[in-house]
Amino acid sequence: MKRFITVSLSLMIAVLLFAPQQVFAAKPVKIGVLVPLTGIVAQGGLEMKYGIEMAAEEKGTVLGRPIELIVEDTRVKPPVAVTKAEKLVYKDDCKALIGVFSSGVGLALSKNIDKLNVPFVSTHVMTTKFYGLHPLVFRSGQLANDQTAVGNVKGILARPDLKDRTYYVIVHDYSWGHDAGERFIALAKENGIKVYNDTYDKAPIKTKDWSSYISKIKASGADGVYMAFITNVIPAFAKQTSDFGLQGKVKLVSAAAPGPLELEAGGEACHGIFGASDWAWDVDNANSNDWEMRFWKKFNTIPSDAAVHSYVGAMNLFNAIEKAGSTDAKAIADALRGISFDGPYGNVRISAKDNCMRNSAVLTETMAAPENPFGAKVYMKVLKTFTADELGPPE
Amino acid sequence: MGGTIGIIVDISLNSLVLSGVFLIVAIGLNIIYGLSRIMNMGHGALYAVGAYTGYTLVATGFNYFVALVIAPIIVGGIGLLIERTIIAPMRKRSMVYTLILTYGLMFFLDGMIKYVWGNKPCFIDLPAFMQGTLSILGTQYPIFRLVTLFLIAGIMGGLMLFLNKTKVGLILRASSTIPEMVSCLGINMSYVHMGAFVLGCIMAAMAGIIAGPLTTIDPLMGSEMLISSFVVIVIGGLGSLRGAVLAALLIGFVQTLAEFFITDLAMVIVYVLMAVILAFMPRGILGEGKFE
Repeated sequence: MKRFITVSLSLMIAVLLFAPQQVFAAKPVKIGVLVPLTGIVAQGGLEMKYGIEMAAEEKGTVLGRPIELIVEDTRVKPPVAVTKAEKLVYKDDCKALIGVFSSGVGLALSKNIDKLNVPFVSTHVMTTKFYGLHPLVFRSGQLANDQTAVGNVKGILARPDLKDRTYYVIVHDYSWGHDAGERFIALAKENGIKVYNDTYDKAPIKTKDWSSYISKIKASGADGVYMAFITNVIPAFAKQTSDFGLQGKVKLVSAAAPGPLELEAGGEACHGIFGASDWAWDVDNANSNDWEMRFWKKFNTIPSDAAVHSYVGAMNLFNAIEKAGSTDAKAIADALRGISFDGPYGNVRISAKDNCMRNSAVLTETMAAPENPFGAKVYMKVLKTFTADELGPPE
Repeated sequence: MGGTIGIIVDISLNSLVLSGVFLIVAIGLNIIYGLSRIMNMGHGALYAVGAYTGYTLVATGFNYFVALVIAPIIVGGIGLLIERTIIAPMRKRSMVYTLILTYGLMFFLDGMIKYVWGNKPCFIDLPAFMQGTLSILGTQYPIFRLVTLFLIAGIMGGLMLFLNKTKVGLILRASSTIPEMVSCLGINMSYVHMGAFVLGCIMAAMAGIIAGPLTTIDPLMGSEMLISSFVVIVIGGLGSLRGAVLAALLIGFVQTLAEFFITDLAMVIVYVLMAVILAFMPRGILGEGKFE
């Protein structure tokens, strides 16, 4: 009996000493993924999800633990996104949040970040309000509006067919659109580019029929349009301007990159859209070429900027958790500041000064695609590359 | 690119096209409500199904005009199935039941659209002769938009002929005002309700395939159009066909003019207009609305 008790006690002590470590070792690090899977940008949201899933799969583990992604649909609605974020943090015990399409959603989430108390890495938010917004809020993905405006203005000045035009500015009526329009107008005027309407048009997001706006553009005599529309609306607007016979006569410069699937749907009507962007599959370097083929093989979808932004943002987050050595919110945030990742669009570094990324970008024009592995008929041809220093902002 | 006259032509034609699309959707909704007192919340989704069906037919090689005939027939068939299986068993209950039921139907159809066609927007390829622009009084206007105006006029003309010159049309019109009398004459009202629902669905599908090339076909197009068509039938008076025509023209012109001159407030003005008409003319601009 005495021996039985001794053995039992020894076993219990052994279990208490060793088992917890094994249990914790197997416990995944949960990351909350907030993307729009329904609503106007559902396709972009799906591509963002693909990008993050691909990064998680390639990274495999952090801190020796598997990565578990818990995906929630924001429906591009700020209150929905906040509720989903609360569920991800409080119920699912996610250690960080990533994703988010739309500045409005990103800002709403940021307002609640003290309460949520986890790092939030946005991958598809362009508002300049994100610079130094909160110690737990980061941008690693898409260029900000000021960086896009710099790229577009430099692009316009560099192109003889763009620079001597008068630009009609039209934006989607919400925080990102307003910010994008104002950034472009200020910078364009500083650089001697003519802008027709300083008080730019604000179109409701639900606008489907652009004929009234196109009539205004025709009446204005402007021969260029600077548009800040949600990505999948760009081909619709381009097609309608083409229907009215303006394609080629009025040059379109975009503050956001059109999605590749939407470009395919728009076809030839979508030729001739200029815009600064972080990445397009025409970017020709070994890292980019390899990434886009991996993406294509995995998802059978034309690689998009939405996917690549999210992939890079997720890699920066996973590497930061590794660097932090724990899942503590402050430790991850400290590790995110200054971290960088060499991905499909070069080195993407999160500034230690303002929590927002710095990276190189490209000026592209949409046109008929050469033969390509994705079967794409329209593509964003790279015309010019900008370094991170050229785009700023200075640190 | 066209002076003042060109601008007036542009605005007028844009308004007429927009009014025409609103009209066909709203008339379909109104026929269903006027004849069977069902507020079909799934009407916008059926409009989207019509557009997507038309898109698929054209993408698989059918001529646009052939698709314009086939797609509404297909959606009419779907409407028949919906009416027989979901709506008819609920007909004797309060209107709230069918309201909630068709609200659910809207989500179901929206989900089916995403499942079948995905999230990306689609554009309908038009025949070569409809592409390009035509010079009208100094402005270049897309040919297909002009063709669209003729199509809308043709559809409305055909509907009016059907309602005014055929025996079935006579029964439908009589049923909208004195259904008890029609029933006393031995006409099975169940068939009248079924016919009204199917006709409404056909109108929604026609509007969808007409609107497809004008805008973009995407999963949200239905819910957005549903709101606009509600505005039209509220302003026109619930169940009033003449009111719907007038209201569609009013909304089309007000929205287009507002977008042109006071862009930022365009949609606000449309809804303010609706609120004012509701407050002072609760039975619509012609006072013909049927409230229950």
